[in-house]
Parts: sequence; structure tokens; C-alpha cells
Amino acid sequence: MTTIPTPEAELAQVSPRRLSRASTGADAVFTASARTIGASVLVITGGVGAFLAWQAYPTLRRYGWSFFTESQWQPDQDVIGIAAVLCGTVSVALVAMFFAFPLALLTALYISEYAPARIKSTLVALIDLMAAVPSIVYGLWGFFLIMPHAAELALWLQRHLGWIPIFQVADTDPNAATWDATRYVSSAFCAGIAVSMMVMPMACAVMRQVFSQTPPGEKEAALALGATKWGMVTSVVLPFGRGGIIGGTMLGLGRALGETIAVVLIVSPAFEVKPRILEVGTSTVSSLIAGRFGEASTSQLSALLAAGFVLFLITLVVNTGAAVVVNRSRSGAGVD
Amino acid sequence: MTRRTRIRALLSLLVAAACLIAPVGFAAASTVGPATPALRTTYAQIEGTGSTWSELIVQQWIADVDANGMKVVYTGGGSSKGRKDFAQGSTDFAISEIPYQGTDEQGNADTSNGRQFAYLPIVAGGTAFTYQLKIGGQQVKNLRLSGETIAKIFTNQITNWNDPAIAADNNGRAFPSLPITPVVRSDGSGTTAQFTLWMDKSYPSIWRPFYGKSGLTSYYPRQGRAIGQAGSDQVMNTIAGFAGNGTIGYVEYSYPLNKDYPVVKVLNKAGYYVEPTQYNTAVALTKAQINQDPNSPLYLTQILDNVYTNADPRAYPISSYSYMIIPTGSTDPRMTTAKRQTLADFMYYSLCAGQTKAGPYGYSPLPLNLVQAGFDQIAKLKTADPAVDLTSRDVKSCNNPTFDGKNLSKNKLAQIAPQPAACDKTGAGPCGYDTGTNQPSTDGQQPTDGTSQAPAADGTSPPTDTAPVVDSTTGEVVQAAPVDPAAPAADTGTTTTDTTGTTATQPQAAAADFPVPTELAAARPADTKTFSWVAALLLVALVLMPGVMATKLRRRPVRRGQ
Repeated sequence: MTTIPTPEAELAQVSPRRLSRASTGADAVFTASARTIGASVLVITGGVGAFLAWQAYPTLRRYGWSFFTESQWQPDQDVIGIAAVLCGTVSVALVAMFFAFPLALLTALYISEYAPARIKSTLVALIDLMAAVPSIVYGLWGFFLIMPHAAELALWLQRHLGWIPIFQVADTDPNAATWDATRYVSSAFCAGIAVSMMVMPMACAVMRQVFSQTPPGEKEAALALGATKWGMVTSVVLPFGRGGIIGGTMLGLGRALGETIAVVLIVSPAFEVKPRILEVGTSTVSSLIAGRFGEASTSQLSALLAAGFVLFLITLVVNTGAAVVVNRSRSGAGVD
Repeated sequence: MTRRTRIRALLSLLVAAACLIAPVGFAAASTVGPATPALRTTYAQIEGTGSTWSELIVQQWIADVDANGMKVVYTGGGSSKGRKDFAQGSTDFAISEIPYQGTDEQGNADTSNGRQFAYLPIVAGGTAFTYQLKIGGQQVKNLRLSGETIAKIFTNQITNWNDPAIAADNNGRAFPSLPITPVVRSDGSGTTAQFTLWMDKSYPSIWRPFYGKSGLTSYYPRQGRAIGQAGSDQVMNTIAGFAGNGTIGYVEYSYPLNKDYPVVKVLNKAGYYVEPTQYNTAVALTKAQINQDPNSPLYLTQILDNVYTNADPRAYPISSYSYMIIPTGSTDPRMTTAKRQTLADFMYYSLCAGQTKAGPYGYSPLPLNLVQAGFDQIAKLKTADPAVDLTSRDVKSCNNPTFDGKNLSKNKLAQIAPQPAACDKTGAGPCGYDTGTNQPSTDGQQPTDGTSQAPAADGTSPPTDTAPVVDSTTGEVVQAAPVDPAAPAADTGTTTTDTTGTTATQPQAAAADFPVPTELAAARPADTKTFSWVAALLLVALVLMPGVMATKLRRRPVRRGQ
């Protein structure tokens, strides 16, 4: 007689192997160290923010809401506010983006879609080189080479588009026999042009990378359906790269907001809220900090750091916005 | 044991031996090393920040001593920054126009934070007013202004170059109707401090209402049309830049000299308009009161009230000394023997041979008494650290152009300074010579001394003969009465003053013949618009005409054929 082992009896003794997702051994070490390093970025960013907030607290408590509405920066008269410098920061950054965005977009499109393979790598290297040029060089370039021409362009803009508030220049007649060149230099417009050359390579690099990830299948499909190259670019590459375009622009904007040395070299500090970007005199948060930091006393330092804290928050918001846009876009995900 | 392993063992033995011996060898070499530095001196790199007023000469000195192995780094940034960096202990020395103020004008502490220091005068100079003003494309190079006019320009009371006060200072010479744009420093600056101190002492009724209180400030209260720029070089660049027409700013005389730009001749108490050359500055500073109390924290600092009112016709009113702040504490955390030695030898060079270069570079050498006092201050470095070697470094071996070999108590430079030219007097002139050439304007001989290996003295002989001053219309010597700007219209564009370089050989009568500014009516947009329309119509016609003509011509044969 043979006994057949009953499956029930066997099964009763077998317990399922415990599955653990926790890594062991070398994996655990690697996971832990990678996690630590990743977290340290958060700690550092948070630390910068916390430090600035801690330093800014006395100033914010002392001046309260008027710190944001007052335009004058006169520590000797106990009048401190960042309305004017914030306005200047935004106008310099917007002028910079006005010039940098089309340049960056078209350069990226040319490199990824049109440039012959021979010169493609050279062009990429040149753009990277532009990003590597120190900002003081751009400042000198802007001061000595660009400002004379920018001032003439500003005069032309005022003469023909002076009815638009941002192109007005106070206290000067654009049709005078000899134009008053001193009113058109050292302006947000001149500084913005210099800054645009600094943010352009960064925006361009991001856009180019996204464009180069466009699925070749979709591009070929468009061409096969009879689209011209430009038709393919507008119907496939640009929609696919929308996230990259917006993200690169926002990253560039973040850098334009904080650009310092070139702005210090070019602008003539003036503390007034004005939309007139062509007119002499403006000030940005970072140029204010750079200009006053060296000789600041403790209380002034706190005021400067408060201004820096506000700038930190603005760039944080801008860059976070950029990250969200890039993540939500279709770029690089879900294509075949 | 095989042969190969034996060789390998031998090799490893050799390597081990070499490892053992090598450090001994290096040690032997290093014991030989210090024997030589005991005779020479060891130097270490020293760093400083501060004044841009005196930066040009300091950078030259640094380049000079570099060959002797002294590495000095100086980065400017303004006097306020220099004092602050020194107080925070982040530099080895500072250079400042004004001493620590105790409490600065903004009500904040301006002290050395307890760091022990001494003031050491390094160079004298004049705060110059440089400008760009063009009449008919020709740059004006001989503008002269009284102190009151200057104060009013920088406080926005005189806002146009055709102001009668400016014409009166230039003996009736009219300037074009052009807005004045003052260029001021936007950073904390010793130049601003010296300039505002002069305004506060000399023209309190003009300066104080503008500033809102009395006293000097390192931060110019920029208002109205004024443009602010950081650093003396940026001020100079803005004035010399393409948009500089109509601008005027204040910098040390060396900056316009370096850029070949004119400076304003400033009226002194004796009624002469003078340029801040090394002679005029030296003469003015003979009246400077120096704090002579070695126990005072302000030992050697300057009181310039009598300089501003110096009645010598050669004196330039806004002259001052620049100071180095050196750390004298024996426990100073930044200082070492090598650094103190570098600082001492750098200063020894600067106070002696380096002063020879002051004149040619647009500064003025220090007089003997200040050099002597400077040596006493350097000696404090040895007091702090006995290892510092100061032997064979004393005043007697000093090659300083202000020293008179026979009488050490006299300032040779101030003695040989030439009397100003007659055309520089109030009510005469103005002289036709260019300013900003580092040559004092005079009717007599140019002084000759050791300092004349100037970059300026490159064979261009200075204007020496008498400069007759004639009215451009009548040919007579002009009176103080202002010339009617409409009268000499016939002379417009005939001759100009600024024939650079040839002034000496040219007959001086031509020197006083200035172009007369004329004011053009503004180009009204109405004209431009009319012409734009006409141009547009012409363009349209140009495009359409061939087509229209062609149709007409085509129709004709058809008609013929019918």
C-alpha cells in the first residue's frame, strides 16, 4: 500500500517566504548614503533660507510692512524699503528675458534641427563657452560696447513709442538738436541687455536638450505625411518641447533676477519706483547688496539680508514654478 | 631562491633605503636654506583694500616692489570698505582718506573694533574736477570755476553750462546751453568725504541745506540729474564715455591725467585759478595742520581748514593727504614677522623712492616731516615684533623729491613751485593752455627737479612764454565785463584753442580765440513726419510706376493693331 502525501499536510507546514523591500548589505549602505546626500541639498537650501530669515527678522519687525512699500534706501535717515529695488530687479530681468528668450529659442532650434552635423558640436561648445564667461566681462562689454548703441536705440524708442509709459524718459526732449545722452545710459534697459547675454546660454542649453529628446518616430511621421521641415518643427518639436521652453525660460529668469556684477557696473543707483526702463538710474536687489555690503554696519547688514531674503523667496518661487511646469509637460515621458 | 627573486629583493631594499635617506637629504637642504634668508629677508604676501583716490600710485608701488619679492595685493573698493575690512580683521592694511570717524554719518560705529593701528601718511594729492564739455565738436580743456560755482553745481543749484556764474568765472566766455550732469560716487568713498568736507567748511550755506545737516559724508546724497557710479575709475569712465558731454565729476588728479582729460582750474583765495599739479598741491598743504600728539589716536591725521583758505597764489584748495592704516598690535592675529617685514619694506619704498613717482602720476610727494613721522609709525611694527629688521632704513637715505639736501625743514617742491600765469587771475584770461597735462600753468620757467621723468615730459615743452589775453573781437585785453555772446559771432569756427601739443610754439594770441556756442533749434517732429510721408509716397511711386507704365505700353500696340 502506498501512501500518497496529501497536499494539505504539506501546505500546512510551508509558510510563504517573507519579502522585504529593505535593502541589505552594500545596497543598504549605498541607499543610505545616496539618501543623505540627496537630503543635504534640501538641508543646505533650507539652511540658506533659514539663515536669511533669521537675519532679516529684526529688520522686518522694525519696519514692518513699510519695508515693502517704501522706495528709499537711506539708512542714515532710518528710511529703508525695497519697493524701488524690487521694481528695478523685475524690470532688468524682464528686459533680459525679452532679448534672451527669442535668441535662446531660435538658437536651440537651429542647433537641434537645422545645423549641419559638422558644426553642431562647435555651436554647442560655443554656447557653453558663453555660459562660462565671467559676469564682470559681460559687465565691461555692456558698459563700453553696448551702452552707446543701447542709448541710441532708447532714444529711437522714446521718439517713436514715447506714448507707451515704459518708453518715456522724464525731463528730456527726444527731438532736441543735440540729444541729452546722459539721460539714456546706466538704465535698466542697458543693464538688461548685458544680463540677457548671461541668461541666454542657460535657457538655450535646457531647450536644446529637450528638443533633442523629441521622439524621432513622430518627427519622421510628420515628414512622411508631407510636412515641411518648419511644419514638422511647429507640429512636433515645439509642442513636445513646450515644457523645456518654459522651464528654460524660468531658469533664465531666476538667474536674471539675481545677476549682480554686470548690473553694478552699468546702472547708476536710483531709488525710485519707475516703469520708465529707458531712463538713467535704477537699482536691483543684488546690486544694492553688492554695492552696500562691503561697508555695511550690523543693522544695515540685517536690512540687506532682508532684501536678500525677499530675493531668495522670489527666485525660489520662480524656479519651483519652472520645475512644476517641466514635470507636468509631456517632454521625455510617455512617448514611443 | 631564484635569481629573479634575489634581484627583486635587492631592488626593494634599495627603494626602502632611498625612502629613508630622502627626508634626511631634504632636511639637510632645508638647513642650508635659511642661512641665506637670514641675510636677505623673508616676505609674505600682504593684502589690503580701501581708497580708490590713491589706488593708481599704490598699484604702481606694488608693481615696483614686486621685483624685490614683496607680494602686495591691493583691491580698492572705497575708503569706507577699507576701514571696515581692516576693523573686521580681514586685511593686513587699509588705505583711507579720512580716519576712523568713531560714529559715522549714518549713526553706526566706525571704529577699528579694538584692533590696534596707526595712521601713516602715504601720498598727497588734489581732488580734481574733470569734465567733458564740447563746443562744436571741440572739447573745452581750460574751464575754470570758483569754489562756490562748483558747490552750486554739485548741489543742483547751477544746472546749465550757460549759467552766468560759469561765464563770469571764465571771464565772460560763454558756454553752450547744455544741462550739467554731475557724476558722483555711489559707494562709500574718501574722495566724497574730502570733497564734502571742503564744501562743508567753505560753503556751508550751500552744502548744509542740500545735505540736510552739517559735516562730511562718505556717501554722496545723489539727487536730480546726478549719476552715481561705484569707484573712481567708473566715474572717470562715465565722464570720458560717449554720453559724457555735459558731465562733471570729482576724482583724484591722476585719473584725468591718465585718461588725458581736462580738469577744472579752481579759484583759490589769492584770486588765481589753479590746477592740482604736484606743485600746487604741495604749496597748499604747507598750511595743513597735522596732529602732532603721538599719544592721540588721531596722531598724524590732517586738519585742512587752512589749506582751503591758503592765500598763496599757487595753492590748490582741495588738497589732502591719503593715509594707510597699519596694524600695530603685537598679538594681531593676522600678522606674522614676515608680513610685518613686507609691510615695513613696502612702506619704506613708498615713502622714499616711491615718492619720486607721485608727481608724474598726478599725486604730490610727502614733505619731510611727514616722512619722518611715517618712519616712526613703521617703527611701531618693530615694537610689536622685535624680529622685524629695520636697520639701514632711515630718512637720510631717502630719495624724496621734496627734500632739500641743505635744509631738511623746507619743502623743496613748494619752494620751486612756479607762480601761476597772469591769465589765470580773476578778471583776466582765460588761458589757452590745456589742463590735465601735469604741467602747472605759469609765465615763468617750468620747474626742473628729480621728479620730471614724467610720462608727460616726453619732449612736449610746456607753455612758457607770456600768454597775452585778448578779446576775440576787439583784440584788446579783456576786462571783467562779460562779452556779449552775440557780438563775436563773426569768429565762429575760425580758430580753436585746443591745438594739442603745439600750444608752446603757436603764437599765444590765438590761444584766447574760442569758438562761440550757438544753440540750434530742436528738430521738430513735424518736419520729420512730412519728409517721411513724401519718402513713403516716392517709394510707392517707384514700385508702382514701372507696372503702370508697362500696362499702358502694352495697350498701345493693341490699339494700333485694331
